[in-house]
Amino acid sequence: MLNRADVWTLYRRELRSAFRERTIVVNSILMPIFLYPVLLWVMFTAQTYIQGLNEGFTSRIALVDPVPADHASVLDSLRGREGVRLRGDPEEETPTGPPDILIESEALALLRSGAVDAVVGFRPPEGAGSTLPGNFRVQVRFDGTESRSERARDRVESVLAGYRDTWVQREAERLGMGVEDRVRFLVDVESVSTSREMGTMILGQMLSFFLIIMVALGCFVPSVDTTAGERERSTWETLMTVAASRASVVTAKYLYVATLGIAAGVLNVTAVFLSVGAVLRPLLQGSGEEITFSIPLAAVPVMLAGAVALALFFSAAMMLLASFARSFKDGQALVQPVYWLVFLPLLLGQQTDRTLTPAIASVPVANVSMMIRDAINGVFLWPLIAWTLVVTLATVALALTGARFALRFEDFLLGSFDGSFWRFVRDRISRRRRTDHTTEAGR
Amino acid sequence: MSDSVPPAPSAATASAVPTPSGAPPTIEVRDLRKTFYDESRGEVHAVDGISFACDRGEVFGLLGANGAGKTTTLRMLSTVLRPSGGSAWVMGHEVAAEPEAVRRSLGFYSASTALYPRLTARETLEFFARINRYPPERVPERVEELVERFGIGEYQHARVEKLSSGMKQKVSIARTIAHDPPVLIFDEPTVGLDVLNALEMVRVVRRLRDEGKTVLFSSHIMSEVEKLCDRIGIIHRGRLLALGTLEELRERTGRHYLEDVFVHYVTREEGVDVAELGATGELEAGA
Repeated sequence: MLNRADVWTLYRRELRSAFRERTIVVNSILMPIFLYPVLLWVMFTAQTYIQGLNEGFTSRIALVDPVPADHASVLDSLRGREGVRLRGDPEEETPTGPPDILIESEALALLRSGAVDAVVGFRPPEGAGSTLPGNFRVQVRFDGTESRSERARDRVESVLAGYRDTWVQREAERLGMGVEDRVRFLVDVESVSTSREMGTMILGQMLSFFLIIMVALGCFVPSVDTTAGERERSTWETLMTVAASRASVVTAKYLYVATLGIAAGVLNVTAVFLSVGAVLRPLLQGSGEEITFSIPLAAVPVMLAGAVALALFFSAAMMLLASFARSFKDGQALVQPVYWLVFLPLLLGQQTDRTLTPAIASVPVANVSMMIRDAINGVFLWPLIAWTLVVTLATVALALTGARFALRFEDFLLGSFDGSFWRFVRDRISRRRRTDHTTEAGR
Repeated sequence: MSDSVPPAPSAATASAVPTPSGAPPTIEVRDLRKTFYDESRGEVHAVDGISFACDRGEVFGLLGANGAGKTTTLRMLSTVLRPSGGSAWVMGHEVAAEPEAVRRSLGFYSASTALYPRLTARETLEFFARINRYPPERVPERVEELVERFGIGEYQHARVEKLSSGMKQKVSIARTIAHDPPVLIFDEPTVGLDVLNALEMVRVVRRLRDEGKTVLFSSHIMSEVEKLCDRIGIIHRGRLLALGTLEELRERTGRHYLEDVFVHYVTREEGVDVAELGATGELEAGA
C-alpha cells in the first residue's frame, strides 16, 4: 500500500542525495541553465566572426577577354569594388594600366587550383540581344565547392548588375524614355509579420526543442542513479528491508526522477528565454532587423503541462530500462537509446509550416513539441492540446504498466535477473519458464 | 520502538515449533522453502523445509558453509525474498501476508546492505528511524541517543562516503537499530572486517541480547558462533541438520569443538568422510 508519509521521506532522501552528486547537479541543473544560452552565444558569435572573415577576403578575378571598348568603365567599377582585385593589378597602389588577359584554359586551371576565385569573360551577345548596339555578354565562372569562390561570383555579379542598370538608364534617357516607360510594373515585397511575431516564431522553434531535450536530459542521470546506481552501491537491498512498501519506494523514486526532469526543462526554458534577446538582438540589429522576444502568458501553463507529461513519460521509460542494469555504466548504455530516439519525433514536431494537427497530436513527443511551439506563437487549439496530453499520459500509463509488470518478478526487483530487457520480455511474456523466479514480489 | 511480547498466535498460526522458554516466539520458521531457477543448474532448492523458533533475549546462530542457505533464509525472514513454501512469522506477523509489519519489527544488517554515501551519518540515522516508523516526534531524541551510544558524535555531520570502514560499521549498526526493533538479523556481520571491528561487532550483539532483543545471527566462523550464540542451528544444502545449545550439540555428537560438531553433522548428511569433504573444498567453515 502506498503511504504518503513514506513517499515523502523517501523522496526527500533521493533529492538530498541527488543535490550532493556532481553528475546530477551538472546534468540536471547547471547544463540546462548555462549550456544552451552559452551555446547560442558561441554559435552566433562564431557565425558573425566567420561572416566578418569572409567579408575581409579579397576576391581574385582573372579576365580572359579584354573589356569591350564602349564599356571601359566596367573595369573601373570592378576595380572600385572593395574586396575585388583583378589579376595583374598591383597589390599596393591604384592600378592604372590594363589587367592581365589570360588564356582561357590557363585561367580555368588557376580557378581549379584555387589561385583565382572567379574567371570573367566578355563575350559577344547572343539571340535578340545581338542586334542592340554596344551590347555584350559576361560569362562568370566559379568553383561551386568553394565558399570563397561563390563570394567572388556574388561580388562580380553585383558590380556588373549595377553597371548594367546604370547603362540601361543612360541609354533610355538618351532615347527619351522615363522610368515609367522602361519599367512597366514594380514588385514591392513586404512581410506582414511584426517584429514581435518574428520573435515568437524564433522562440517557438528554439524553446519547444530545448524544453524536450532538457526534460529528457534531466531525467537521464537520476533514472540511472536511482536504479542501477543503487545496485552498484549495494544500497538497494538496504532499501528493500525498510518498513515502507515497495509501491512507496518505487513511487518516491519515480517522482524524484520526474521532478528533476521538469526542473531541467523549466530552468532551461527560463534561461534561454532570458538570454535569447541579449544574444540575438545585437546580431539582428547588425542586419537591420528589429525583433522583440516575448511569450504569451497563456503559453506558460501549456508549456508546463507539456514538460510535466513528458517528464512522467521519460522517467517511467528510463527507469524501467535502467532497472535491468547492475552498474551505473550499464544503466547509461541501456537508457541512451531512449534519449536519442527522442530526436526523431522531435524533428517531426519542428516543421515550420504547420500547426498541431490530429495526426501529429497522436505522435508522442512530436505532439508536445508542436503544442508548445503553437502556444508560444499564440495558437491555442484546445481540443488538440487536450488530445496531445491524453496521448502523452497514455504512453505514461503504458510505461508504468510495463514497470508494474516487471516489478512483479522477484529477480527483476532484486537485480538478480541476468539478461537484457528484450530477453526479460520474451521469457516472461511467452511464459516459457514457470519456475519460482517469476514469484510475485511487488509488496 | 517495541520490545513487546509477540501477539498470541491465532488458530491458523498457532506455534508449532517450541521455544526454550515456552513463551510465544519472536521468530518462528515453519517448513520454509525457497526454489530458484538457474540457467545452468535448473531448479535449485536453496532452502528446503527449515523450521525453528527464537525466544526474546536470545542469540540464535545459523551456522553453515558458503551457499548453505543461510542468507536466503534470512532474506525470506526480512521479506526481501518471498518463500516458495512454508512460512515464517516475526513478532507474530507472517512474512508473506504482512511484509511491512515484519520489516517494522526487525533490523537487518549484512555486508550487502550498504549506507547511502551522500547522506551524513546523522541524516542516515534520522532517515532510517523515520522510514521504519519510529514515532516522528521522538526521532531527534533517538538520533541523539544513537550518536551517543555508538560514539559517532565527532563525525555525525560528515558524509558516509568520507568515513573509514570502522566508522561506517558503527553507523551501519546504528541505522539497523534506529527504530528500536525487537528482532535483529545479522547476516555474516563480520565479513570483511578487521579483528578489532569484528570484536566490536560481537560486543554489540551481546549488548543487544542483554537489552532483551532477539538476535538471529548467521556465520560460517565457528569461534564467533561458539562465543555468541545461545542456540545454534547447523544448516547444510538448505536443510537444518541440527538445532540446540552448544552443550546439547556436544552431548549428541560426543565432540567438544564446534568445528568437529559441524563436520560430524555435515559428513553424516553427505555420507562421506572428512578427508573427502576437504578435498572437494565444499566446506569453507573457518575457525
